[in-house]
Amino acid sequence: MRELLARLRDWFRRDRLDRELRDELAFHQRQLERDAVAAGVAPAGTESAARRQLGNLTQVREEARDRWSIPWLDHLQQDVRYALRGLRRSPGFALGVIITLGLGIGANAAMFGIIDQLMFRPHAFLRDPGKVHRVYLRYTFQDRTITTSNFEYKRYLDLSQWTNSFSDHAAFFLETAAVGSGAASRERSVGAVSASFFDFFDARPAAGRFFLPTEDATPRGADVAVLSYPFWQSEYGGQDVIGQPIQVGGVRCTIIGVAPKGFAGVSEDDPPVVYFPITTFAGSRPDEDGREYFLNYNWGWMEMMVRRKPGTSLPAATTDLTNAFARSWNAARATQSGMAPADVAHPVAIPGALKTAAGPDPSLDARTLLWVTGVAVAVLLIACANITNLFLARALRRRKEVALRTALGVSRGRLLAQSLTESTVLALLGCGVGVVIAQWGGVALRRLFLAESATFLLFRDARTLGAALAAALAAGILTGLAPVLQARPGDLATTLKSGARDGTHRRSRTREALLVLQATLSVVLLVGAGLFIRSLSNVRDFRLGFDPEPVLIATRNFRDMEVSDSDRVRLARRMLSEAQRIPGVEHAALVSSVPFWSSSTTGLFVTGIDSVQRLGQFTFQTASPDFFKVLGTRILRGRPFSETDIAGGPRVAVVSEGMARVLWPKQDAIGACIRVRADTMPCTTVIGIAEDAVQTDLLAQTKFHYYLPLEQYRPERAFAVMLRMRGDAGPAADGVRRALQPLMPGEAYVTVRPMGDLIGEQRRSWRLGAAMFIAFGGLALVVAAVGLYAVMGYDVTQRSHELGVRIALGAQPRDLIQFVVGQGLRFTLVGIALGSALALFGSRWIEPLLFQQSATDPIVFGGVALLLVAVGFLASSIPARRATEADPNRALRTD
Amino acid sequence: MPPVDKRDLLPGTLDMMVLKTLTVQPMHGYGIAQHIQRHSREVLRVEEGSLYPALQRMRQKGWIKAEWQQTPNNQRARYYTLTPAGQKHLGLQETSFADLLTAIARVMQSA
Repeated sequence: MRELLARLRDWFRRDRLDRELRDELAFHQRQLERDAVAAGVAPAGTESAARRQLGNLTQVREEARDRWSIPWLDHLQQDVRYALRGLRRSPGFALGVIITLGLGIGANAAMFGIIDQLMFRPHAFLRDPGKVHRVYLRYTFQDRTITTSNFEYKRYLDLSQWTNSFSDHAAFFLETAAVGSGAASRERSVGAVSASFFDFFDARPAAGRFFLPTEDATPRGADVAVLSYPFWQSEYGGQDVIGQPIQVGGVRCTIIGVAPKGFAGVSEDDPPVVYFPITTFAGSRPDEDGREYFLNYNWGWMEMMVRRKPGTSLPAATTDLTNAFARSWNAARATQSGMAPADVAHPVAIPGALKTAAGPDPSLDARTLLWVTGVAVAVLLIACANITNLFLARALRRRKEVALRTALGVSRGRLLAQSLTESTVLALLGCGVGVVIAQWGGVALRRLFLAESATFLLFRDARTLGAALAAALAAGILTGLAPVLQARPGDLATTLKSGARDGTHRRSRTREALLVLQATLSVVLLVGAGLFIRSLSNVRDFRLGFDPEPVLIATRNFRDMEVSDSDRVRLARRMLSEAQRIPGVEHAALVSSVPFWSSSTTGLFVTGIDSVQRLGQFTFQTASPDFFKVLGTRILRGRPFSETDIAGGPRVAVVSEGMARVLWPKQDAIGACIRVRADTMPCTTVIGIAEDAVQTDLLAQTKFHYYLPLEQYRPERAFAVMLRMRGDAGPAADGVRRALQPLMPGEAYVTVRPMGDLIGEQRRSWRLGAAMFIAFGGLALVVAAVGLYAVMGYDVTQRSHELGVRIALGAQPRDLIQFVVGQGLRFTLVGIALGSALALFGSRWIEPLLFQQSATDPIVFGGVALLLVAVGFLASSIPARRATEADPNRALRTD
Repeated sequence: MPPVDKRDLLPGTLDMMVLKTLTVQPMHGYGIAQHIQRHSREVLRVEEGSLYPALQRMRQKGWIKAEWQQTPNNQRARYYTLTPAGQKHLGLQETSFADLLTAIARVMQSA
């Protein structure tokens, strides 16, 4: 290996080595001459004697020179020089190819970087990643299959205890908590992990140590914390922190260690700034479920990772894990009456991919992303088709040159090597352009897909660079093969004899097929783009049942401080009255839950209906009177709450339209009686019907929701103030926070978020899909149009003889234009037909990614067809105009 | 005794002798040839046609380093220096060569 490198280095400086060897031998010869003189040989004979002794000078040099010559490298160098010379001769052609390929490769490199990070690249420091899995549970609930990776700590204990396929098990939970104390505290990402978590990694702490099994024990672990390296650097300047206290949520921990640089655990974005034992996190929960988290199956929250034992196959591990889950299911069922038996629920446990995007339940984002990657590949294919076509066109032009060289004895292999070298040189140059494009566009993409704020340098990412290079080489080979395969051997004499007149009818099938392929792929991509655009506008136009844009949500966080119910109520009222005084606030209301953030359910009983629950899920929230004004939810009939609906007064409720319809299909809901929490409770009278509002899921089919006055139902549960602002909500957020923060007792603090952000997260995949499909679809269209233009233009040039004859015979410019444009349009139309068929075929897979949008929308298909016809017309009409300029005189004179 | 032709040398012995020579001090090609010739009492005459290719090969293998320097007579010559890798290789060569010589000697004495 080392020798090879040395040879390679020598190859690059072989001219200098040649020179040095010559000098060296000259020196040697001089020494020999001197010896000869000293030995008394006559001066006249010295030179010949010396030379005799030195042997054959040339042969010595040849032999030494062999040491730094590498024949295939010499050939390659020749070919590269030949290719570069050819490109310098036609810079326009070269530039076109390089930019086209650059766009295609750039799109793919950018997408690869993201897909790789999301699905394939192992987490840093993870040992033997192929054997590490995240545990997913799957079961059937009310005829729906549910797949989740979040479950109970007790379940984790069961699955660890009742399996033997795994050598390691770890529990982890990533969440946001207030880190630090006083004014310096901020909401940060934190990781509650079991002590075994760190055993999955080959990571040594940068300082101190990770926590021990004894520090992570039920019911409550030790109050210890491990900092992340960047947090240690930014907050503590990398100083000695071991033994210092740090407030993590409600727990005051002692810092015992710092994770190494680059360690991010298994988080996919926003890695934790601090890790603490999962039993410390769960054991410090104030609520009852929290305290018994290791005994009951009430609280499904954490996630689990396992390492398969060597020699245990994945199917065997799955069976083992599923058996344990079934046993655990039965154990849970013994304590909870509502659970379906195992033979109905079909519990299955899957040791799946550690990365959720590659697991059995990928998010809508991840699925959209895979499609977008497919689109990027299609763009590259179109680019390749385009370039192949250009190469083919040029090969036709060079027909005579090639024939001549073949006649002179250049082998086909050598021609192939040259053609491949040329296309690969172009592809590599395109790769360079592509990497720049990918870097530039990739930063924007990452911000969208990975919520990544850190600057990313593609140039330093070997995997992405490797992928870009592989794509470039594939493109180079693909585009370089065709022209040589196309050239048929054997008709040398004909080719050498033929003039410009020949070749007019020999239109290449391959080239036509490539044009059609480009048009087809463009149609598919554009249909995709159109569908995503329509889907996005559906999302935007979709009536949520409220106006999120002008609304701010202010929540208080007590940091697990003990606060009595009466203090909570007092604080909430003070927050509300303060909020109403803030300038710019139109209305404000207290709420117990916020759409897209949280929702609550409780027992609901209606006279005359056996089981309300069977009809679907009924969510509720409590709110102060101005709530409907704040959110802009319309009251369709009846009245909203008022100041008179107070504790002790008649119990009232507002129900959603959908709920009214399902519960009282035949009678007026207003005045109806519902009982909340238990069927022994007094009647709550329905006083109003509100429009349906989305609660948590944009795609939810049913919107059964009811509202109770805050004062009449557990007022201490008011957890947020919602404020409707005049004008833009976002910029007002900090002012609201500053106005409310002084009301907070002790360590408590206020967080203010625009409501639009909550919903924006849900709309993300559609927005992304639309943005990416538009970008790539547009790119495809441009590339395909340029391709059509180039090929038509080239054709016209090649056929100038034929066209000239036509003009001489009396063809009018209009006829010629029709003739050429008609040909261009023919390819386009075939492409439209094939592309539409392909898009229809794929519609069934793309439809789940769209929002209330049919994937066979005739408007989209029609629009794309029209667009393509227009582009096809444009791309061929410019060459067509040139066709009319063909000179009949020249045509008749040549040959 | 006539000078030994390079073809009669055992394979690898030229390398070994060059490396051994360079343990004395850095030398140029001519010096190496002279050294070997002198110390073999004129029996081994290193043909320059095989010396220089061998030097290039050993340089590429990383056993020796080459550097242009002034000779005591103020001429420019390429001096070769033994590298640690070359030193190691020489050690191995010497051992196996000694084993080989012993083996040959045994065969020659057996009859």
